[in-house]
Amino acid sequence: MAAVRALLALGVAARRRPELGPAGLRAFWGGRRKEEGEVEADRAVPEKAESSEPSLIHPLPRCRSYIPPEDLQSCLECHVREVFGPSVPEDWQQAPLQENRLKYRLLARLAAELGHAVPNSQLHRVRCAGDVLGFYRTPVKDSTEIDELAAAELPPNLKIIWQQ
Amino acid sequence: MIRAGAAALRAWSKARGWAALSTAPPAPPAAPEPRREEPPVPPPVPPPVPSPVLRSCRVPVVPPLSPLQAWVGSLRHPEDTLRGLADLHPDVFGVSPRLDILHTVATWQRNYKRISHARVRSRAEVRGGGRKPWRQKGSGRARHGSARSPLWRGGGIAHGPRGPTSYFYMLPMRVRVLGLKVALSAKLMQDELHLVDSLEMPSGDPRYLQELARARRWGHSVLVVDSDEFPENIIAAASGLKSITLIPALGLNVHSLLKHQTLVLTLGAVTFLEQRLLWHESRYSPLVPFSLPHRDPPPPPRAA
Repeated sequence: MAAVRALLALGVAARRRPELGPAGLRAFWGGRRKEEGEVEADRAVPEKAESSEPSLIHPLPRCRSYIPPEDLQSCLECHVREVFGPSVPEDWQQAPLQENRLKYRLLARLAAELGHAVPNSQLHRVRCAGDVLGFYRTPVKDSTEIDELAAAELPPNLKIIWQQ
Repeated sequence: MIRAGAAALRAWSKARGWAALSTAPPAPPAAPEPRREEPPVPPPVPPPVPSPVLRSCRVPVVPPLSPLQAWVGSLRHPEDTLRGLADLHPDVFGVSPRLDILHTVATWQRNYKRISHARVRSRAEVRGGGRKPWRQKGSGRARHGSARSPLWRGGGIAHGPRGPTSYFYMLPMRVRVLGLKVALSAKLMQDELHLVDSLEMPSGDPRYLQELARARRWGHSVLVVDSDEFPENIIAAASGLKSITLIPALGLNVHSLLKHQTLVLTLGAVTFLEQRLLWHESRYSPLVPFSLPHRDPPPPPRAA
Protein backbone atom coordinates (compact mmCIF):
# COMPACT_ATOMS: atom_id res chain seq x y z
CA MET A 1 0.00 0.00 0.00
CA ALA A 2 2.77 2.38 0.90
CA ALA A 3 4.56 1.50 -2.34
CA VAL A 4 1.40 2.14 -4.35
CA ARG A 5 0.96 5.50 -2.62
CA ALA A 6 4.58 6.41 -3.42
CA LEU A 7 4.05 5.45 -7.06
CA LEU A 8 0.87 7.51 -7.25
CA ALA A 9 2.68 10.49 -5.72
CA LEU A 10 5.48 10.14 -8.30
CA GLY A 11 2.93 9.91 -11.08
CA VAL A 12 1.11 12.97 -9.83
CA ALA A 13 4.38 14.91 -9.57
CA ALA A 14 5.37 13.91 -13.09
CA ARG A 15 1.97 14.86 -14.48
CA ARG A 16 2.02 18.23 -12.69
CA ARG A 17 1.47 21.00 -15.16
CA PRO A 18 4.76 22.74 -15.98
CA GLU A 19 4.89 26.46 -15.30
CA LEU A 20 4.16 28.50 -18.38
CA GLY A 21 6.45 31.41 -17.40
CA PRO A 22 9.86 32.01 -19.03
CA ALA A 23 11.69 30.23 -16.21
CA GLY A 24 9.44 27.23 -16.51
CA LEU A 25 9.83 27.08 -20.28
CA ARG A 26 13.62 27.45 -19.99
CA ALA A 27 13.73 24.57 -17.52
CA PHE A 28 11.46 22.53 -19.78
CA TRP A 29 13.67 23.05 -22.83
CA GLY A 30 16.84 22.06 -20.97
CA GLY A 31 17.89 25.17 -19.08
CA ARG A 32 20.14 22.94 -16.97
CA ARG A 33 22.60 22.56 -19.81
CA LYS A 34 23.65 26.22 -19.46
CA GLU A 35 24.48 25.78 -15.80
CA GLU A 36 26.49 22.65 -16.51
CA GLY A 37 28.30 24.45 -19.31
CA GLU A 38 29.10 27.37 -17.02
CA VAL A 39 30.44 25.03 -14.37
CA GLU A 40 32.63 23.29 -16.93
CA ALA A 41 33.81 26.62 -18.28
CA ASP A 42 34.69 27.79 -14.77
CA ARG A 43 36.67 24.64 -14.18
CA ALA A 44 38.41 24.99 -17.52
CA VAL A 45 39.60 28.52 -16.70
CA PRO A 46 43.28 28.10 -15.92
CA GLU A 47 43.97 28.52 -12.23
CA LYS A 48 46.43 31.30 -11.80
CA ALA A 49 48.48 31.66 -8.63
CA GLU A 50 47.30 28.25 -7.44
CA SER A 51 43.88 29.59 -6.40
CA SER A 52 40.35 29.51 -7.83
CA GLU A 53 40.11 33.23 -8.66
CA PRO A 54 38.32 34.43 -11.81
CA SER A 55 40.34 35.48 -14.82
CA LEU A 56 39.30 39.15 -14.51
CA ILE A 57 41.77 39.63 -11.70
CA HIS A 58 44.05 42.64 -11.89
CA PRO A 59 47.28 41.58 -13.59
CA LEU A 60 50.41 41.62 -11.44
CA PRO A 61 52.43 44.80 -11.95
CA ARG A 62 55.73 43.82 -13.58
CA CYS A 63 57.86 46.59 -12.03
CA ARG A 64 57.70 48.77 -8.96
CA SER A 65 56.98 52.44 -9.41
CA TYR A 66 59.89 54.80 -8.95
CA ILE A 67 59.96 58.58 -8.62
CA PRO A 68 63.42 60.18 -8.75
CA PRO A 69 64.25 62.11 -5.55
CA GLU A 70 65.15 65.77 -5.74
CA ASP A 71 68.70 65.45 -4.46
CA LEU A 72 69.51 62.68 -6.91
CA GLN A 73 72.56 64.34 -8.46
CA SER A 74 74.33 65.14 -5.20
CA CYS A 75 73.52 61.72 -3.76
CA LEU A 76 74.87 60.03 -6.87
CA GLU A 77 78.00 62.18 -6.85
CA CYS A 78 78.87 61.29 -3.29
CA HIS A 79 78.31 57.59 -3.96
CA VAL A 80 80.59 57.76 -7.02
CA ARG A 81 83.32 59.45 -5.01
CA GLU A 82 83.00 56.85 -2.26
CA VAL A 83 83.22 53.91 -4.64
CA PHE A 84 85.97 55.24 -6.90
CA GLY A 85 87.97 56.86 -4.17
CA PRO A 86 90.99 58.85 -5.42
CA SER A 87 90.77 57.55 -9.02
CA VAL A 88 87.61 59.50 -9.85
CA PRO A 89 88.21 61.80 -12.86
CA GLU A 90 87.54 65.55 -12.72
CA ASP A 91 84.11 65.30 -14.25
CA TRP A 92 82.53 62.62 -12.06
CA GLN A 93 79.98 61.87 -14.74
CA GLN A 94 82.75 60.53 -16.99
CA ALA A 95 83.83 57.94 -14.42
CA PRO A 96 84.01 54.67 -16.39
CA LEU A 97 82.23 51.56 -15.15
CA GLN A 98 84.18 49.01 -17.18
CA GLU A 99 85.36 47.08 -14.14
CA ASN A 100 82.64 44.79 -12.90
CA ARG A 101 83.65 45.19 -9.25
CA LEU A 102 83.24 48.96 -9.23
CA LYS A 103 80.09 48.78 -11.30
CA TYR A 104 78.53 46.24 -8.93
CA ARG A 105 79.45 48.28 -5.87
CA LEU A 106 78.02 51.51 -7.21
CA LEU A 107 74.83 50.05 -8.65
CA ALA A 108 74.15 47.85 -5.60
CA ARG A 109 74.49 50.85 -3.28
CA LEU A 110 72.16 52.93 -5.40
CA ALA A 111 69.63 50.11 -5.65
CA ALA A 112 69.65 49.62 -1.88
CA GLU A 113 69.23 53.35 -1.25
CA LEU A 114 66.68 54.27 -3.91
CA GLY A 115 64.82 50.94 -4.00
CA HIS A 116 65.15 50.77 -7.80
CA ALA A 117 67.73 48.59 -9.58
CA VAL A 118 68.91 48.81 -13.17
CA PRO A 119 67.13 45.99 -15.05
CA ASN A 120 69.19 43.30 -16.80
CA SER A 121 68.36 44.60 -20.26
CA GLN A 122 69.82 48.06 -19.49
CA LEU A 123 72.92 46.95 -17.59
CA HIS A 124 75.12 46.78 -20.67
CA ARG A 125 74.12 50.32 -21.67
CA VAL A 126 75.25 51.81 -18.38
CA ARG A 127 78.93 52.51 -19.12
CA CYS A 128 79.70 55.63 -17.10
CA ALA A 129 78.28 57.50 -14.15
CA GLY A 130 76.46 59.87 -16.49
CA ASP A 131 74.44 56.95 -17.89
CA VAL A 132 73.54 55.97 -14.32
CA LEU A 133 72.34 59.50 -13.66
CA GLY A 134 70.25 59.49 -16.82
CA PHE A 135 68.70 56.16 -15.88
CA TYR A 136 67.77 57.20 -12.36
CA ARG A 137 66.23 60.41 -13.60
CA THR A 138 63.51 58.61 -15.56
CA PRO A 139 60.45 57.79 -13.42
CA VAL A 140 58.80 54.39 -13.69
CA LYS A 141 55.09 53.79 -13.18
CA ASP A 142 53.56 50.42 -12.36
CA SER A 143 49.92 51.19 -13.22
CA THR A 144 48.55 49.81 -16.45
CA GLU A 145 46.79 51.92 -19.06
CA ILE A 146 43.46 50.63 -17.88
CA ASP A 147 44.21 51.89 -14.38
CA GLU A 148 44.98 55.34 -15.74
CA LEU A 149 41.80 55.22 -17.79
CA ALA A 150 39.83 54.25 -14.72
CA ALA A 151 41.35 57.14 -12.78
CA ALA A 152 40.53 59.64 -15.55
CA GLU A 153 37.09 61.16 -16.13
CA LEU A 154 34.82 58.67 -17.79
CA PRO A 155 31.36 59.16 -19.32
CA PRO A 156 28.59 58.15 -16.92
CA ASN A 157 27.71 54.96 -18.77
CA LEU A 158 31.26 53.51 -18.68
CA LYS A 159 32.56 51.72 -15.64
CA ILE A 160 35.84 49.86 -15.21
CA ILE A 161 35.95 47.41 -12.31
CA TRP A 162 38.67 44.89 -11.54
CA GLN A 163 37.42 41.89 -9.64
CA GLN A 164 39.49 41.61 -6.49
CA MET B 1 49.06 34.33 22.46
CA ILE B 2 45.68 32.66 21.96
CA ARG B 3 47.05 30.74 18.93
CA ALA B 4 50.03 29.58 20.99
CA GLY B 5 47.67 28.45 23.75
CA ALA B 6 45.42 26.61 21.31
CA ALA B 7 48.41 24.90 19.70
CA ALA B 8 49.69 23.88 23.14
CA LEU B 9 46.29 22.45 24.12
CA ARG B 10 46.11 20.54 20.85
CA ALA B 11 49.55 19.04 21.47
CA TRP B 12 48.56 18.17 25.05
CA SER B 13 45.43 16.42 23.88
CA LYS B 14 47.68 14.23 21.69
CA ALA B 15 48.97 12.76 24.94
CA ARG B 16 52.22 14.66 25.08
CA GLY B 17 51.49 15.53 28.70
CA TRP B 18 52.60 18.54 30.74
CA ALA B 19 55.68 19.00 28.51
CA ALA B 20 53.35 20.51 25.87
CA LEU B 21 52.67 23.55 28.06
CA SER B 22 56.31 24.62 28.13
CA THR B 23 56.87 28.22 27.09
CA ALA B 24 59.74 27.36 24.76
CA PRO B 25 58.71 27.66 21.08
CA PRO B 26 57.94 24.28 19.49
CA ALA B 27 60.53 22.78 17.16
CA PRO B 28 59.61 23.31 13.47
CA PRO B 29 58.14 20.13 11.95
CA ALA B 30 60.13 18.26 9.31
CA ALA B 31 57.21 18.07 6.84
CA PRO B 32 54.86 21.02 6.22
CA GLU B 33 51.60 20.72 8.18
CA PRO B 34 48.56 20.52 5.94
CA ARG B 35 46.28 22.57 8.22
CA ARG B 36 48.64 25.48 8.84
CA GLU B 37 46.94 28.78 7.96
CA GLU B 38 49.68 31.37 8.49
CA PRO B 39 52.25 31.75 5.67
CA PRO B 40 55.78 30.55 6.49
CA VAL B 41 57.87 33.16 8.29
CA PRO B 42 60.73 34.23 5.95
CA PRO B 43 64.25 34.08 7.37
CA PRO B 44 65.73 37.38 8.55
CA VAL B 45 67.26 39.76 5.98
CA PRO B 46 70.86 38.60 5.34
CA PRO B 47 73.69 41.06 5.97
CA PRO B 48 75.19 42.77 2.89
CA VAL B 49 77.56 40.43 1.07
CA PRO B 50 81.12 41.83 1.24
CA SER B 51 82.48 39.91 -1.77
CA PRO B 52 80.21 40.06 -4.81
CA VAL B 53 79.78 37.14 -7.21
CA LEU B 54 81.46 38.27 -10.44
CA ARG B 55 81.37 36.06 -13.51
CA SER B 56 83.20 36.71 -16.76
CA CYS B 57 82.63 34.93 -20.05
CA ARG B 58 84.56 31.67 -20.41
CA VAL B 59 84.47 32.03 -24.18
CA PRO B 60 86.40 35.17 -25.14
CA VAL B 61 84.32 38.01 -26.51
CA VAL B 62 85.81 39.32 -29.75
CA PRO B 63 85.68 43.13 -30.10
CA PRO B 64 83.83 45.26 -31.27
CA LEU B 65 81.23 43.18 -29.39
CA SER B 66 81.01 43.88 -25.67
CA PRO B 67 79.50 41.49 -23.18
CA LEU B 68 75.97 41.89 -21.88
CA GLN B 69 75.42 41.83 -18.16
CA ALA B 70 72.90 40.60 -15.63
CA TRP B 71 72.48 40.66 -11.88
CA VAL B 72 73.18 37.45 -9.98
CA GLY B 73 70.73 36.76 -7.18
CA SER B 74 69.97 33.78 -5.01
CA LEU B 75 66.95 31.90 -3.74
CA ARG B 76 67.92 32.02 -0.07
CA HIS B 77 65.78 35.05 0.66
CA PRO B 78 63.14 36.93 -1.36
CA GLU B 79 65.10 40.20 -1.05
CA ASP B 80 68.46 38.66 -2.00
CA THR B 81 68.53 39.75 -5.63
CA LEU B 82 71.79 41.69 -5.98
CA ARG B 83 74.52 39.28 -5.03
CA GLY B 84 76.80 39.95 -7.95
CA LEU B 85 77.20 40.79 -11.61
CA ALA B 86 77.68 38.33 -14.46
CA ASP B 87 78.90 38.87 -18.02
CA LEU B 88 76.90 37.22 -20.78
CA HIS B 89 78.24 36.47 -24.24
CA PRO B 90 76.62 38.74 -26.83
CA ASP B 91 76.54 36.04 -29.51
CA VAL B 92 74.26 33.95 -27.31
CA PHE B 93 72.26 36.49 -25.37
CA GLY B 94 72.40 39.45 -27.75
CA VAL B 95 71.52 38.20 -31.22
CA SER B 96 69.01 40.07 -33.34
CA PRO B 97 65.38 39.14 -32.64
CA ARG B 98 64.59 36.76 -35.49
CA LEU B 99 60.92 36.04 -34.87
CA ASP B 100 60.71 33.97 -38.01
CA ILE B 101 63.35 31.61 -36.64
CA LEU B 102 61.40 31.33 -33.38
CA HIS B 103 58.28 30.47 -35.31
CA THR B 104 60.11 27.94 -37.46
CA VAL B 105 61.69 26.16 -34.53
CA ALA B 106 58.51 26.20 -32.42
CA THR B 107 56.49 24.78 -35.31
CA TRP B 108 59.13 22.12 -35.90
CA GLN B 109 59.03 21.14 -32.23
CA ARG B 110 55.29 20.75 -32.41
CA ASN B 111 55.18 18.84 -35.67
CA TYR B 112 58.20 16.57 -35.89
CA LYS B 113 56.81 14.21 -33.26
CA ARG B 114 53.36 14.17 -34.81
CA ILE B 115 51.96 10.97 -36.22
CA SER B 116 48.40 11.33 -37.42
CA HIS B 117 46.52 8.04 -37.16
CA ALA B 118 43.51 9.18 -39.19
CA ARG B 119 42.58 6.56 -41.76
CA VAL B 120 39.38 6.04 -43.75
CA ARG B 121 38.43 3.23 -46.01
CA SER B 122 38.65 3.66 -49.76
CA ARG B 123 36.24 2.04 -52.16
CA ALA B 124 38.48 -1.01 -52.31
CA GLU B 125 38.41 -1.53 -48.54
CA VAL B 126 34.73 -1.01 -47.82
CA ARG B 127 32.93 -4.29 -47.37
CA GLY B 128 30.96 -5.30 -50.46
CA GLY B 129 30.71 -3.51 -53.77
CA GLY B 130 32.05 -6.26 -56.03
CA ARG B 131 28.95 -6.76 -58.10
CA LYS B 132 27.47 -4.41 -60.65
CA PRO B 133 24.21 -3.18 -59.01
CA TRP B 134 22.10 -3.23 -62.18
CA ARG B 135 22.63 -3.76 -65.87
CA GLN B 136 24.45 -1.10 -67.87
CA LYS B 137 21.58 -0.19 -70.22
CA GLY B 138 17.83 -0.25 -70.11
CA SER B 139 16.99 0.17 -66.41
CA GLY B 140 16.56 3.94 -66.64
CA ARG B 141 18.92 4.61 -63.74
CA ALA B 142 22.46 6.06 -63.88
CA ARG B 143 25.14 3.60 -64.77
CA HIS B 144 27.17 2.26 -61.85
CA GLY B 145 29.75 -0.44 -61.46
CA SER B 146 29.91 -0.79 -57.69
CA ALA B 147 27.69 0.04 -54.73
CA ARG B 148 30.62 1.28 -52.71
CA SER B 149 32.03 3.93 -55.03
CA PRO B 150 32.57 7.42 -53.50
CA LEU B 151 29.36 8.62 -55.13
CA TRP B 152 27.25 6.20 -53.12
CA ARG B 153 25.99 6.54 -49.57
CA GLY B 154 28.03 4.11 -47.49
CA GLY B 155 30.76 4.05 -50.07
CA GLY B 156 34.46 4.61 -49.63
CA ILE B 157 36.11 8.02 -49.36
CA ALA B 158 37.96 9.15 -52.45
CA HIS B 159 40.95 11.19 -51.20
CA GLY B 160 40.73 10.80 -47.46
CA PRO B 161 43.51 10.46 -44.89
CA ARG B 162 45.38 7.27 -45.52
CA GLY B 163 46.90 5.50 -42.62
CA PRO B 164 49.40 6.67 -40.02
CA THR B 165 51.07 9.72 -41.49
CA SER B 166 54.32 11.00 -40.11
CA TYR B 167 55.15 14.69 -40.14
CA PHE B 168 58.75 14.15 -39.20
CA TYR B 169 61.35 16.50 -40.56
CA MET B 170 64.59 17.93 -39.19
CA LEU B 171 65.65 21.52 -39.35
CA PRO B 172 69.33 22.15 -39.88
CA MET B 173 71.26 22.03 -36.62
CA ARG B 174 72.41 25.61 -36.96
CA VAL B 175 68.82 26.83 -37.32
CA ARG B 176 67.82 25.08 -34.11
CA VAL B 177 70.84 26.51 -32.32
CA LEU B 178 69.99 29.99 -33.60
CA GLY B 179 66.44 29.53 -32.36
CA LEU B 180 67.74 28.91 -28.84
CA LYS B 181 70.00 31.95 -29.05
CA VAL B 182 67.14 34.17 -30.27
CA ALA B 183 64.85 32.94 -27.51
CA LEU B 184 67.48 33.58 -24.82
CA SER B 185 68.16 37.04 -26.24
CA ALA B 186 64.46 37.83 -26.23
CA LYS B 187 64.19 36.77 -22.60
CA LEU B 188 67.09 39.01 -21.62
CA MET B 189 65.88 42.00 -23.57
CA GLN B 190 62.40 41.76 -22.09
CA ASP B 191 63.73 41.60 -18.49
CA GLU B 192 62.46 38.08 -18.08
CA LEU B 193 65.86 36.48 -17.53
CA HIS B 194 67.26 36.15 -14.02
CA LEU B 195 70.54 34.64 -12.92
CA VAL B 196 71.07 32.76 -9.70
CA ASP B 197 74.36 31.56 -8.22
CA SER B 198 72.87 28.29 -6.98
CA LEU B 199 69.44 26.80 -6.37
CA GLU B 200 69.83 26.30 -2.61
CA MET B 201 66.70 27.12 -0.68
CA PRO B 202 66.14 27.42 3.07
CA SER B 203 63.07 25.16 2.94
CA GLY B 204 61.32 22.84 0.54
CA ASP B 205 57.95 24.51 1.06
CA PRO B 206 56.17 25.27 -2.24
CA ARG B 207 54.62 28.36 -0.63
CA TYR B 208 58.06 29.84 0.01
CA LEU B 209 58.96 29.54 -3.64
CA GLN B 210 55.60 30.95 -4.66
CA GLU B 211 56.03 33.91 -2.30
CA LEU B 212 59.52 34.50 -3.66
CA ALA B 213 58.27 34.50 -7.24
CA ARG B 214 55.47 36.89 -6.31
CA ALA B 215 57.73 39.24 -4.36
CA ARG B 216 60.24 39.42 -7.20
CA ARG B 217 57.39 39.89 -9.71
CA TRP B 218 58.51 37.04 -11.91
CA GLY B 219 55.15 36.52 -13.60
CA HIS B 220 52.79 33.60 -13.92
CA SER B 221 55.19 30.85 -14.93
CA VAL B 222 58.86 30.28 -14.17
CA LEU B 223 61.35 27.97 -15.89
CA VAL B 224 64.36 27.04 -13.78
CA VAL B 225 67.41 25.64 -15.57
CA ASP B 226 70.49 24.09 -14.00
CA SER B 227 73.37 22.14 -15.48
CA ASP B 228 74.11 19.94 -12.44
CA GLU B 229 71.71 18.05 -10.24
CA PHE B 230 69.03 20.00 -8.46
CA PRO B 231 69.07 20.29 -4.64
CA GLU B 232 66.31 18.39 -2.84
CA ASN B 233 64.59 21.48 -1.50
CA ILE B 234 63.84 22.99 -4.85
CA ILE B 235 62.71 19.64 -6.24
CA ALA B 236 60.23 19.32 -3.37
CA ALA B 237 59.06 22.90 -3.75
CA ALA B 238 58.62 22.79 -7.53
CA SER B 239 56.85 19.43 -7.48
CA GLY B 240 54.10 21.07 -5.44
CA LEU B 241 53.62 23.91 -7.91
CA LYS B 242 52.29 23.82 -11.43
CA SER B 243 53.65 27.18 -12.51
CA ILE B 244 57.34 26.51 -11.74
CA THR B 245 59.18 23.92 -13.83
CA LEU B 246 62.69 22.54 -13.41
CA ILE B 247 64.62 21.30 -16.44
CA PRO B 248 68.28 20.42 -16.99
CA ALA B 249 70.27 22.60 -19.36
CA LEU B 250 70.27 19.82 -21.97
CA GLY B 251 66.49 19.99 -22.09
CA LEU B 252 66.27 23.68 -22.89
CA ASN B 253 64.01 24.27 -25.89
CA VAL B 254 62.25 27.12 -27.63
CA HIS B 255 58.74 25.92 -26.81
CA SER B 256 59.44 25.86 -23.06
CA LEU B 257 61.09 29.26 -23.25
CA LEU B 258 58.08 30.75 -24.97
CA LYS B 259 55.58 28.97 -22.75
CA HIS B 260 57.05 30.15 -19.45
CA GLN B 261 57.11 33.85 -18.68
CA THR B 262 60.34 33.96 -16.70
CA LEU B 263 63.60 32.11 -17.08
CA VAL B 264 65.93 31.50 -14.13
CA LEU B 265 69.42 30.26 -15.01
CA THR B 266 72.24 29.21 -12.73
CA LEU B 267 75.79 30.32 -13.54
CA GLY B 268 76.70 26.72 -14.37
CA ALA B 269 73.86 26.56 -16.86
CA VAL B 270 75.03 29.82 -18.46
CA THR B 271 78.55 28.44 -18.93
CA PHE B 272 77.19 25.21 -20.38
CA LEU B 273 74.87 27.00 -22.80
CA GLU B 274 77.53 29.43 -23.95
CA GLN B 275 80.00 26.64 -24.63
CA ARG B 276 77.54 24.43 -26.47
CA LEU B 277 75.81 27.13 -28.49
CA LEU B 278 78.96 28.95 -29.53
CA TRP B 279 80.76 25.83 -30.72
CA HIS B 280 78.46 25.63 -33.74
CA GLU B 281 79.61 28.99 -35.05
CA SER B 282 83.14 27.84 -35.75
CA ARG B 283 82.85 24.13 -36.42
CA TYR B 284 83.43 22.24 -39.65
CA SER B 285 80.59 20.47 -41.39
CA PRO B 286 80.46 16.91 -40.13
CA LEU B 287 81.78 14.13 -42.37
CA VAL B 288 79.59 11.70 -40.41
CA PRO B 289 76.25 12.85 -38.95
CA PHE B 290 76.52 13.71 -35.29
CA SER B 291 73.78 11.26 -34.41
CA LEU B 292 76.02 8.36 -35.52
CA PRO B 293 79.09 7.30 -33.59
CA HIS B 294 81.95 9.52 -34.64
CA ARG B 295 85.35 10.69 -33.51
CA ASP B 296 86.36 14.30 -33.02
CA PRO B 297 88.77 15.49 -35.69
CA PRO B 298 92.43 15.40 -34.62
CA PRO B 299 93.80 18.75 -33.42
CA PRO B 300 95.65 20.75 -36.08
CA PRO B 301 99.42 20.08 -36.07
CA ARG B 302 101.34 22.73 -34.16
CA ALA B 303 104.07 24.45 -36.14
CA ALA B 304 107.28 23.16 -34.55
